[in-house]
Amino acid sequence: MILTRLARSGRAGVALLAAGLFAALVLPWLIYPPVALDIACWALFAAALDLLLGFTGLLSFGHAAFWGGSAYCTGLIALRLGLPFPVAVLGGTAFAALLALPIGYLSVRLTGIYFAMVTLAFAQMVYFVANQWRDVTGGENGLQGIPRELFGLDLSDPFFFYYAALPLVLAGLFAAWRIVHSPFGRVLVSIRDNPARARALGYPVERYRLLAFVLSGALSGTAGGVFAIGHGFAALDGLYWTTSGQVVMMVILGGIGTLWGGAIGAAIVVQLQDFLATAGFDGSGIVTGTLFIVIVLLFRRGIWGTARHLLAARRTAAPPETAEPKPRSRVDAPT
Amino acid sequence: MLQQAFNGLVGGAFYALLALGLAVIFGMLGVVNLAHGAFYMLGAFGAFIALDSFGLNFWAALALVPLLLGVAGAVLERLFIRRLAPLDPLYNFLFTFGVALILQDLMKRRYGVNSQPYPRPPELSGTVDLGLFTYPAYQVFVLGVSALTCGAVWLVLTRTRVGMIVRAATERPELTRALGIDVGRWVTPVFGFGIALAAFAGVLAAPMRAVNPLMGADLIITVFAVVVIGGLGSVFGSVAAGFAVGLVSALGNLYVPALSQTLVFILMAAVLLWRPAGLFGREEAYR
Amino acid sequence: MRITGWSGGLVVTGLLLAACGGGPSGGDEKISDGGVVLAVLNDQSGIYADTSGRNTVEAVRLAVEDYRAKYGDQAVAKTIEVVSADHQNKPEIANSKAQELYDREHADVILDVPTSSAALAVATVAKNKKKVFIDVGAATTELEGKACNKYTFHYGYNSYMLANGTGSEVTAAGAKNWYIVYPDYAFGQDMTKTFSAAIKNAGGTVVASDPTPFPNDNFSTFLLKAPDLAPKPQVLGTMHAGGDLINLVKQYNEYKLRDKGVELALGLLAISDIHSLGSDALAGTRYTTMWVWTFDEKTRAWADRMQAKIGKRPTSNMAANYSAALQYLEAVQRAGTDDADAVVGRLEGQAVEDMFVRNGTIRAQDHLLLHDAYLAKVKPASEVKEPWDYEEVVKTIPAAQAFQPQPDPACAL
Repeated sequence: MILTRLARSGRAGVALLAAGLFAALVLPWLIYPPVALDIACWALFAAALDLLLGFTGLLSFGHAAFWGGSAYCTGLIALRLGLPFPVAVLGGTAFAALLALPIGYLSVRLTGIYFAMVTLAFAQMVYFVANQWRDVTGGENGLQGIPRELFGLDLSDPFFFYYAALPLVLAGLFAAWRIVHSPFGRVLVSIRDNPARARALGYPVERYRLLAFVLSGALSGTAGGVFAIGHGFAALDGLYWTTSGQVVMMVILGGIGTLWGGAIGAAIVVQLQDFLATAGFDGSGIVTGTLFIVIVLLFRRGIWGTARHLLAARRTAAPPETAEPKPRSRVDAPT
Repeated sequence: MLQQAFNGLVGGAFYALLALGLAVIFGMLGVVNLAHGAFYMLGAFGAFIALDSFGLNFWAALALVPLLLGVAGAVLERLFIRRLAPLDPLYNFLFTFGVALILQDLMKRRYGVNSQPYPRPPELSGTVDLGLFTYPAYQVFVLGVSALTCGAVWLVLTRTRVGMIVRAATERPELTRALGIDVGRWVTPVFGFGIALAAFAGVLAAPMRAVNPLMGADLIITVFAVVVIGGLGSVFGSVAAGFAVGLVSALGNLYVPALSQTLVFILMAAVLLWRPAGLFGREEAYR
Repeated sequence: MRITGWSGGLVVTGLLLAACGGGPSGGDEKISDGGVVLAVLNDQSGIYADTSGRNTVEAVRLAVEDYRAKYGDQAVAKTIEVVSADHQNKPEIANSKAQELYDREHADVILDVPTSSAALAVATVAKNKKKVFIDVGAATTELEGKACNKYTFHYGYNSYMLANGTGSEVTAAGAKNWYIVYPDYAFGQDMTKTFSAAIKNAGGTVVASDPTPFPNDNFSTFLLKAPDLAPKPQVLGTMHAGGDLINLVKQYNEYKLRDKGVELALGLLAISDIHSLGSDALAGTRYTTMWVWTFDEKTRAWADRMQAKIGKRPTSNMAANYSAALQYLEAVQRAGTDDADAVVGRLEGQAVEDMFVRNGTIRAQDHLLLHDAYLAKVKPASEVKEPWDYEEVVKTIPAAQAFQPQPDPACAL
């Protein structure tokens, strides 16, 4: 079934997929391996967010709660129970999903910008709780010394760990892809485009949104868990709203609603930060902020989105299903 | 305990002023201004620079700085925010986020992260006997001024023609336009005014709090929660919620210090469960 | 670095073979990777950027200059490089940066690392990578206790030194009842613990101790509470640093607590804080410090050299880093190599005396530097004779009293 879908997306799709896999496999040869792992984790995180933003139409500014929360949970499982790291990551994923349930339940009643503000506030709440719950999270010190256990293999070299962890990341990306290209995914898109119509057709809109939120949170948790094992460290910073902001930026840079655009966005942002840090440049906020502004003003489709748009224009076939910035009158009739 | 309550109200005054600016901007433009905290910070720095480089005292700064920053805000709106207005509000939200990051970082590069000294105005440096307890004069001043300002804004909105137009434009823009009123020309001034309010709060804060580039970032998320509690469309709600949250925070700090930072968010969650549109908000927020 | 084609492959193969070929050849056989690399890891953009930050790198460069001047051609370390990185006071960034510095930059030693959580993270990295780490900026006593390891040294000051100096002295001078406020994170908690112990030892009582959110800009709750506690505290001890401290002192003065009979004692004070607040805001406040630039001829001379380089007077943190770098290089000289184990052996038990350290020893059992500390007082603006002359040394606390008399049994070295 997967193959028919691939065939349907044409030779271009297969070629891109192959290129993507190749890039993923070769990355640690080209870049400092810990940075390569970071890119992989953020790519999955971005894809998870895009699931919610691009395909369900909800901007969450609080996804750090799932990334960071899973980081702590994964770390604790690996540290205290000594289980193999993939098990720990799965545990973190489950924790993120569980966390997403109440937050999502309260938040999906609102949409648009209100949803963003509320998710932001809830994520901050998780941050403060983690800060207070010092005995478990280590508070300021963070959770240190998280081991990488896998049946006794020596994974201390980040180069080898990258390959050990890559299957988890790829599984997550595949899950995202599968969700999008499924009947469930199609309903999500219809809810994004016109919730009133979806509701009129009998779909329980809030429940679909909640499920999308939980799935998105779970996959963010997978990404955060791998990140924690990779760094051997889980910290409060992973729960802070700047982390949420960063992944949103990656998704927009890559292209909202493209799923893979986030991976490109992640690669660019991580590399940029690494470059700035090594060059000793002090103003990373200025660069990030300017990037945000430039993208929002001039480049809203993002890299992948622009590329797809150009290709489609050339082919003069029906334009692709992207979440393009829709013109909207400022005060909507209640939808 | 009464003193603590008073404390809470003073802290709440800042929340109220900032929430008011946010609410006014949101009401008129539909923009959630993430840069609001940055303009608050610039207001405080404006006061510092006015004193340090130009020898202008506190009172001059209080008059001048909000004006200048309000104009700056108006320019920002004219050049950029207006262009993004027809699109999904998400983009303006992110634009203001970018602006906030840039402003913060620019100030950080110029002034470092340590605080700049700013003295209290000599006219207000004593204490005042309020009958039940004595209290620093400056805090009393802050409370008075912010209450007056919020009251004045409320009066303008409800009693003047300008206010009427602004409210109409906020709630029913098409209808207002159909009646021949040029809504567009009020957008920029209102945005500028909202920013001026933030800067005003900043100048007020300078003698009391540490003037450093991060002062806005830490505050803005709490203000967001305040606005959600009060109801995003409601001016009255934002102000009331601002003072209320300040009060509850201070008392919470006294009795349950462990919860102090999360209290605001717990409140917000509770309000959302009960009334998703906020305490005084309108139904459009829901769905 | 993009590797393309056959030529790329050849280059990579060549490099791999060279790396595997067993040690660098020619030149310094005993020095790894062709030179000694000193890495300064600290806060270059946040609240401690002024206390340490990039200017500390200049201090370390002075140490390199002095080492070269002293040994000339006989220097064991012929090529010395100084690199630095910003950890932004975040332990996870310190964790990553430390690994990068040891791996990518071939650092032989990491210096500074303020902020206790970051220091603990780097100590773990140093242990795993088996490379030297000399912490200068962090206060936590865990570095020579629970978190101690063979490659980690604690140099300069710690919360015990601060507590024993200020806590004991102020209590002994008559302020028996204390009210302590502290920022609710590792540093604040650690300081409160050590201060409370020192105060009790000196015969005082801690009436209450309250955590404040970190960071925080509104201390009114606590300041208003202070005079009303029973028994009434004669002194408010604050363990805050940076922006929090500035806020607290401003508000302390606003609420006129001194007039109400509640003095102020500070856990930690840097000269940059005094500069921020203005001398008069803190006049008379007592605190413990590891170094004062106006102390004697040697300190003045060094402070002048730093003034020429950075345009203002150095902080005690910079002086300590200068000393740590210098002593590390001296240890390399003694060992004849920069191999971590050998250098560690030459640092343990070493007696140290230089511009910064007086009567110093690096205790072998816990790798803690013991040295003279100073109880100081902030001068009122009227007594300040030259720019940055804010501090007056009240008394010298000899090395034997300044630090923990016995190594922590939790440290198993």
